[in-house]
Amino acid sequence: MKLMRLFSHYVKLNLQSAMEYRAAFLTQVFGMILNNSAFIVFWLVLFRAVGDDIAGWGFTAVMFLWSITAFGFGLASVFLGNALYLSRIIYTGELDVYLLQPKPILPNVLWSRSIVSGWGDAAYGLVLFGLTQPLSVAGIAIFLGFGVALALVLTAIRVIYHSLTFYFGNAEDFATTAGELVILFSMYPGGVFDGPTMWLLHSVIPAALVAFIPAQLFASFDTTLLLAVLAADALIIAGAVIVFARGVRRYESGNRIGARL
Amino acid sequence: MEEVIRLHNINKSFRTAVRGTGLRASVRSLVHRETRSIHAVRDLDLSVDRGEVLAFIGPNGAGKSTTIKLITGILFPDSGDITVLGLDPHRRRRELAYRIGTVFGQKSQLWFHLPPLDSFHLLGNVYDVPPATLRQRIEELVEVFEIGDLLDQPVRKLSLGERIRCEMAASLIHHPEILFLDEPTIGLDVVVKSRIRDLIRDMNRRHNVTIFLTSHDVGDIEKLCKRAVVINHGQVVWNDTVKRLKYSLLNRRIIDVKTDGPLTIDQEGVRILKQGEYTAKLEVDLDRAPIEEVVPRLFRNAGIQDINISNIPTEEIISRIYEGSV
Repeated sequence: MKLMRLFSHYVKLNLQSAMEYRAAFLTQVFGMILNNSAFIVFWLVLFRAVGDDIAGWGFTAVMFLWSITAFGFGLASVFLGNALYLSRIIYTGELDVYLLQPKPILPNVLWSRSIVSGWGDAAYGLVLFGLTQPLSVAGIAIFLGFGVALALVLTAIRVIYHSLTFYFGNAEDFATTAGELVILFSMYPGGVFDGPTMWLLHSVIPAALVAFIPAQLFASFDTTLLLAVLAADALIIAGAVIVFARGVRRYESGNRIGARL
Repeated sequence: MEEVIRLHNINKSFRTAVRGTGLRASVRSLVHRETRSIHAVRDLDLSVDRGEVLAFIGPNGAGKSTTIKLITGILFPDSGDITVLGLDPHRRRRELAYRIGTVFGQKSQLWFHLPPLDSFHLLGNVYDVPPATLRQRIEELVEVFEIGDLLDQPVRKLSLGERIRCEMAASLIHHPEILFLDEPTIGLDVVVKSRIRDLIRDMNRRHNVTIFLTSHDVGDIEKLCKRAVVINHGQVVWNDTVKRLKYSLLNRRIIDVKTDGPLTIDQEGVRILKQGEYTAKLEVDLDRAPIEEVVPRLFRNAGIQDINISNIPTEEIISRIYEGSV
């Protein structure tokens, strides 16, 4: 309960902080919507050129991938934005501030920064879903539920890879690339990947868990598959919590001058 | 007297990469990386009583910040025991956090783009201070630190002195029993420094808050602390009253002068440390030669072009303690 109160306080403060620069806020949000929309034109042209089917995926199914990925990515950016900066927070010693506060370290760090453009991504994902998908209560529940799951798993992947900074000094570029790969693979029809790539997409770059399988469940619901994918998501999130907690024991801090943005 | 901080036989070392300079060394280090261990803190023993204002001083890299981070639970020691307010800072970090406060001159807990009042409310939430208590506490702190006019200005628009006052208020939101101040007056002008010192003294006297202060500023130590612990190379090299330290070293000033000819001065308590044709560096023992007597004499004896009076740098205090001249 106390943690949820802190979470909502962070959301409010991050929004206030973003609104300090209204023009930048609006430019980033609408810029992101425009940027994402451009890709839809690309997919329309592609489907017109190659027919209605790419490796078993039609235009509507691909749009589901795009909408859930944009929505989940947006949620992660807005509510768990500091995951992207975790390496920097570790190697500059900024983690000190969170270690001195009486709250669980990981949520406290992750909640305390929001990336403004994420609002644009999340809004875009919702609108795209509404415009391109058949709407039903179950379908909306799957979309929203797996949107949140994508945000959590993407953040967990970022946390795991950025936590390598505790061990190697700086894993920032590697972790950023890993996060981007999850998003990149999530937006392409799963059918085009096979063999070892598909294994990777179920594990170290879990695009299958956060996008392909939810798309499958949206098209045709299967309780066993739902439970299996939720268990896999939970495993990745638990892994992130453990890797980070172990990393903190190796934390060396630092003395760089810093401010909370 | 109740002991609130106790460190026994603390050791902490860091591993760091050893690499030569230049491109070749960088390429070689990709294949074979050598590391060495740096002992930041060695066999450190220290205790602080409730209500004490302790100066914890030492040159850069002596282990001051590492020690504070060990005490506050940020870093894990390699060996030894730490007890703060009866708690192990590493096993019971969160419990301890409710009872200590920190001001790191170099790190801010205020949100840069928002007014301090927003940060105060967030910190109230972080420390689970009930809303009514928080409102009352903010009112008290606003009065004590005289920050009423600053509350609604974004932190980025505050001067350094104003920001430090707000930082100190923020660190006291939850009524901490121990306050760790790491270089709280760094970069401040003389007037603001004096104000900050008054506030620290007031906090200690009114609320019996234990103050653990690190500073390179001799003025902070002289004016605030009763006891000084000097650390160098991770070890305690001096642990005694500031009064004794003052009698030994802090009662001296360094005078740098530029002259239009060679300087001669023969006065008890004044020693020439270094002399060039047009420059000189003097050390003045204030007990034997008050500064108000020495300066006019200098002006009478030599054509002074420029003069600078300063305290003995902390580094020098440490080296003199090491040399055994204290």
